[in-house]
Amino acid sequence: MTRRHSGERGLALLAALALGLYLVFLVLPLLLSLRSSFTDENPLRATNDFVGLRNYTEMAGDDQLRASLVFTLTLAAGVTLAANALGVGFAILLDRTSLSYRVMRTLAFLPQVLSGVIVAFVWQTILTQNGLLNTALTTIGILDEPYPWLGSPTAALISICVVVTWVLSGFTTVVYLAALQSIPLELHDMASLDGVHGTQRFRTVTWPMIAPGTTISVTISLITVLKLYDIIAVLTGGGPANSTQSTALYIVKLAFTSDRVGYASAVAMLLLALSAVVALTVTGALRRREINL
Amino acid sequence: MRTASGTRVRATPAAHGRRLRVLIAAAVTLVFVAPIYLMLVNAFKPQEKILGNPVAPPLPPTLDNVTEALTRPDNLIPLGLRNSLVVAVVSVALLVPLGSAFSFYVSRRTGRTKAAVLLVLAAGLMVPPQVTLLPTIRILTWIGLDHSYPGLILANLGGGYLSFAVFVYVGFMRSVPDEIVQAARLDGASGLRIWWQIVMPLVRPATATVAIFLSLWIWNDFLNPLFILGPLQGQTITTGLYLTIGQYSVDYGQLFGIMFLAAILPVIGYLTVQKQFVAGLTSGATK
Repeated sequence: MTRRHSGERGLALLAALALGLYLVFLVLPLLLSLRSSFTDENPLRATNDFVGLRNYTEMAGDDQLRASLVFTLTLAAGVTLAANALGVGFAILLDRTSLSYRVMRTLAFLPQVLSGVIVAFVWQTILTQNGLLNTALTTIGILDEPYPWLGSPTAALISICVVVTWVLSGFTTVVYLAALQSIPLELHDMASLDGVHGTQRFRTVTWPMIAPGTTISVTISLITVLKLYDIIAVLTGGGPANSTQSTALYIVKLAFTSDRVGYASAVAMLLLALSAVVALTVTGALRRREINL
Repeated sequence: MRTASGTRVRATPAAHGRRLRVLIAAAVTLVFVAPIYLMLVNAFKPQEKILGNPVAPPLPPTLDNVTEALTRPDNLIPLGLRNSLVVAVVSVALLVPLGSAFSFYVSRRTGRTKAAVLLVLAAGLMVPPQVTLLPTIRILTWIGLDHSYPGLILANLGGGYLSFAVFVYVGFMRSVPDEIVQAARLDGASGLRIWWQIVMPLVRPATATVAIFLSLWIWNDFLNPLFILGPLQGQTITTGLYLTIGQYSVDYGQLFGIMFLAAILPVIGYLTVQKQFVAGLTSGATK
């Protein structure tokens, strides 16, 4: 009887330990961050006084913050659209079982396995002023002189979008492939009998049937971009002229370079709220769409 | 196209279509993996050849970049590899039992408690790490574990990784038949024993998914090791690579060698457990 009790308690203890760790290293930091967002905490000036909503009112007039939000949301929208369009296309193209297709699928997923630091560095050797892309394009004669792929705000935005899409497409492809393979064959047979082919078949059969895949794929794409740090930090460091400074990068800069911990926490709260709203509304909308389709 | 007797016949339109499809798929895949090809070939080429023609295959291949990276005087790369391995293995070895025991315990509670606890844990999947980074370092300072490996591992255990583990496990716990658990209980088995000897073997696919993805994410993690360990307490392979990018902006050979070393373990891991990898990834994507 005693042994049984200790075993009962053992399981509860392990569960409590897990919950305790979660409370200490996720919930408590969130609360501390929230508290800090109402202070002027700055380890360099040794200040840590309650300032009410001052940080939040300051955010309204912060041009760098506004620019970072516009950049982050633009990137999120661009990457989500591109990675999902590519994923669907890739999945339809690779939806065959022979060996060559299996090899191609394996390769398509590889970028997902690499760390963001490696991804960013490889792409940097491609995209810099005297990098591989410019060398190739000037040698062939498409360009007369090297183009600054990371040097102007618009080009850098597009370059980052391409790199992040490259990483995420492997993931979306695998998800859409699984979704495609879950479509009952009879459905395709029925469509063939009715003479429904090509784009019409895609619109009326394939697209509605892969809706659960779309929900997961779009949600993960959005959350990934909102959290993204390493690829941008290495590829552009937020430049040129802060034009690719995402909100995540801005928070780290405020907290660790400018030592404005209080204000950084307030911006972090904004990013958290934004992530929650985006994730919940988009997932909710996509789920409802699954039912209606 | 050849028939069984070996005489040439005209290819049918369907065969043409099939061949065209393979060609298009292969072309798209090649463009897609081109950056990885660059990374691989240049890891085995000397600096002059990288600059001369980065796209050329490494003929003859040289191991100099890799050996130089491994024998640097500051020992940055071997230490980084070792540190990453220790952090990933210890974190995952602790996250698996914590996550599964917690999920088993919670999945046996009533609907409302379960829903409330899972809602709190769902937050962990959404919170951007930048939001909790600074307070986490402060908490580690309070308990005297800031800028240390145990501190980094503790932060891994309590953050979003645990949420991920719990969500995977809870999904699988539903498929564990209640009768088995009840029967074991009647036989006098304790909760701890039922969990370890009956439930764990039944949810092995979940353990595979959790272990595979958490090892990959922790190995590739950048923000946490960069700021929780700090510059003085050594490096993981990702932060070590990040450091050398600044140092060796001209020595491409060295950099590609280090990248090869940082990527080889996850890539081999992915290739060996590919099936479980894809299964884990897509378990939620289909109804």
